[in-house]
Amino acid sequence: MMRTRLALVLAVFTGLAAAGCATVQPWQRGLLADSCMIFDANSATAYMTHWQESREGSMGGFGVQGGGCGCK
Amino acid sequence: MMPRFVLMPLVLALLAITPAPAAAKDVLKVAPDVTLTTVAGQQVHLASLKGKVVLLDFWASWCIPCRKSFPEIEALHHEFESQGLVVLAVNVDEEQRNADQFLAKYAHTMTIALDPKGAAAEAFKVNAMPSTMIVGRSGHIRYTHKGYTDKVIAKFRAQVLELLAEAE
Repeated sequence: MMRTRLALVLAVFTGLAAAGCATVQPWQRGLLADSCMIFDANSATAYMTHWQESREGSMGGFGVQGGGCGCK
Repeated sequence: MMPRFVLMPLVLALLAITPAPAAAKDVLKVAPDVTLTTVAGQQVHLASLKGKVVLLDFWASWCIPCRKSFPEIEALHHEFESQGLVVLAVNVDEEQRNADQFLAKYAHTMTIALDPKGAAAEAFKVNAMPSTMIVGRSGHIRYTHKGYTDKVIAKFRAQVLELLAEAE
């Protein structure tokens, strides 16, 4: 009984989750192709990160290896 | 071993999220009779172009390879217009202002059609951007190209020449 209920709950939730999947047609990819959808598309962010790392001596804190000298 | 009551929903979920495979042998032969509206507001019925070689190029302003293909297709239009080639550059941007911005940058004289809802793209089963179809005089799709590289334009040229040389 318990197992049946669990299976039912799992089936309902996975079904709901699967319903969120949609096929985006090639001609509908305008928004996805927008530059704002690219990770780190904003070069100002990279500059600000560099500046912050140098200022705070925290080079590497953003996932980049460096010596803390601000000269990466 | 994974219990059945866990496995079953997982398998069902997997089946649900897996897109149905496109029929590999579903080759489109006769060009669908779509009606396109040009940027100038004129209607173009593809069926009315039967007897001519038609090159349809589906493009979008956001499509990076289209920035290379667009001028090359325009050059083909210039070269073969006098020999009867009809070039229809079908824009699939959802917002026309994006297409207009693109068109302001790239000089063109070929016919630009608008397909913001993707109806023509769907009818032609476009599955890559850009996509180019060359329709022969009989109204059949003779060549289909997905995407664009610098090497492709020589193929387009050869195929257009071949189809222009064919009698109706």
